[in-house]
Amino acid sequence: MAYAGPVLLKRIPDDPAQRKLYRYADYIATGGYASLKKVLAMQPEDVIKLVVDSGLRGRGGAGFPCGTKWTFLPKDLFPRYLAVNFDESEPGTFKDRYLIDHDPHILLEGIAIAAFANKISTSYIYIRGEYHHEAKLLEAALAEAYEHGIFGQKHPGTDIVGHCYVHRGAGAYICGEETGLLESLEGKRGWPRIKPPFPAVAGAFAKPTIINNVETLACLPAIVEHGAAWFKAMGTPSSSGPKLFGVSGHVNKPGVFEEELGIKMSTLIEKYAGGVKGGKYRAAIPGGVSMGVLGTDQYDAELDFDIGRKYNVLGLGTAGVIVMNDKTDLVGMLRNIVRFFAHESCGQCTPCREGTAWMHKILNRIVDGFGQPHDFDMLAELCLTMGAMPGTTICGLADGANWAVKTFLQKFPEDFKSRLKSRQVQGVAVSGAGVA
Amino acid sequence: MAWIVEDRLKTYQPTRSEPYLTAKIKDEISQKYFPRYPNKRAALLPLFHLIMHEYGYIAPQAIDEAAEFLQLTPSQVQDAVTFYEEFRLEKTGRYVVNVCRSISCELCGHQQVLEKMREIFGIEPGETTADDKITLLEVECLGACEQAPCALVNEDLHGHIKPAEFCSQLQQLPAAPGHSTTDVR
Ligand SMILES: Cc1cc2nc3c(=O)[nH]c(=O)nc-3n(C[C@H](O)[C@H](O)[C@H](O)COP(=O)(O)O)c2cc1C
Ligand code: SF4
Ligand code: FES
Repeated sequence: MAYAGPVLLKRIPDDPAQRKLYRYADYIATGGYASLKKVLAMQPEDVIKLVVDSGLRGRGGAGFPCGTKWTFLPKDLFPRYLAVNFDESEPGTFKDRYLIDHDPHILLEGIAIAAFANKISTSYIYIRGEYHHEAKLLEAALAEAYEHGIFGQKHPGTDIVGHCYVHRGAGAYICGEETGLLESLEGKRGWPRIKPPFPAVAGAFAKPTIINNVETLACLPAIVEHGAAWFKAMGTPSSSGPKLFGVSGHVNKPGVFEEELGIKMSTLIEKYAGGVKGGKYRAAIPGGVSMGVLGTDQYDAELDFDIGRKYNVLGLGTAGVIVMNDKTDLVGMLRNIVRFFAHESCGQCTPCREGTAWMHKILNRIVDGFGQPHDFDMLAELCLTMGAMPGTTICGLADGANWAVKTFLQKFPEDFKSRLKSRQVQGVAVSGAGVA
Repeated sequence: MAWIVEDRLKTYQPTRSEPYLTAKIKDEISQKYFPRYPNKRAALLPLFHLIMHEYGYIAPQAIDEAAEFLQLTPSQVQDAVTFYEEFRLEKTGRYVVNVCRSISCELCGHQQVLEKMREIFGIEPGETTADDKITLLEVECLGACEQAPCALVNEDLHGHIKPAEFCSQLQQLPAAPGHSTTDVR
């Protein structure tokens, strides 16, 4: 535990009044692009080794080791692409946007480092369509970067010219899933692909492709500057480094905060986010709605990539913490989450398309007071049938839905059961009624 | 909703002699976007963003023209375009108010925003005011949950919304017909 202050947010002060956009000149003046310069004098393999040694794990949701992913690229297949995942559509997640709003060049430097290390010719920043402002910021930052030879030049010792472009999505959560993203990049509907082949072998335009999250790439300049050991000294043994945490919902000071991995959720809420608002802590979602919910007794959960096994959630996800106080209607919140998945399912896999829609219908009738006694079990059963982990769907969207539902049912069963019973007593539950 | 294909089997599709893909749009795609990708198809999203920016919606004829321009079949283009919620196939009001309805915004009072919109403008999500000024839509998380409740008005994000203030801001926007992509705040 050797976290000594902001790494990713070092150019973004806590005080909103002092925050500003760092343009190229400001970035350079604060040590920017020095790491890239250092990297360009190294061997690409050594850069990959550095990232492997740092223990950097992907910040996009899955937590896959970044350096290991890079080593999956086949040796002699070119051209290679980098797809930067800036789709950021998971409810509760806004960390990448916050970073780019102030410090776009930290991402561009990370991209340039990854492109050199992996001999990549073209990098596409896939940014969600709703981020109009950020797309413009990145376009402007890229123009500056091209002007100063960060892109548009040959990687030293090769004939590969490194380019980088912004590619805007158009309002579809599923385009954040890595293969859905690739389809969308190719000008098609964002339907996730069946794997294998994996993107590292046949990704964008059927060429080897690396997909990394914005924050993952933004860690690279600091790793190069300070070394792998420095990075590994932060966080926990299996989850190294600093991390951006977004905190929203019932807190007094919602926002993006940087800490090392392994920090307690209670610390994050109290020290950084101003404490719980409007009541006492009751529940929280640790990392975007796909990860499930933490119970009332899990307020002190240590937020690292191993959180899943320890606290019965899917994982750390995007580390977008959504806090709910003790006056919250948790059944209503689960309905909100499930509606999201039903709405965003791409529809290719029947268990996901139909399952999320049925979960939504059942939760609608529970919220409306028409819940039937067997609805609880029916929801639990639906969870078992859908997901890439039960092996019935192509991508992880269905797992997100099923973890959200099952953890709410497991950790707050009475909230649901009482809603079913109370109506029974009054004799109002009518089969089929209230199904929206 | 990605997998529900709305009924587009209309017998009559209005056409016009003036193309939707103006020389300006085609030039921008040819010069700026085609060189970025190994094939023309990949310029489909950028192309339709330009069309949306120019017209505020996508006319059926624009899909045919885009297919020819990108060397695809109209059905390939239709297939892609209908997947994306931001690509609208119907005309909207001049200002599209996209109110976020996902969890953090629901926790922080997105219902009050909708209620105020109903009270002041008499519209529900999915509806447009009679003067074609404002279309109200509910959307999923806008990636600005720390500013909940929030909404995207055309291309501008409005955060920490106070419903009454927000509605009076909308009332003050110029009501001239046609669509606008840049906001006057
Ligand atoms: C349904 C779904 C949505 C996803 N959305 C995003 C997203 O918006 N941004 C992101 O970086 N990763 C997202 N991911 C994770 C990506 O598939 C992928 O794991 C990640 O971008 C890899 O980058 P990393 O290794 O740097 O984390 C999503 C995954 C799924 C299953
Ligand atoms: S799991 Fe759902 S979102 Fe993923 S590919 Fe299948 S239908 Fe689409
Ligand atoms: S939930 Fe509304 S912006 Fe994220």
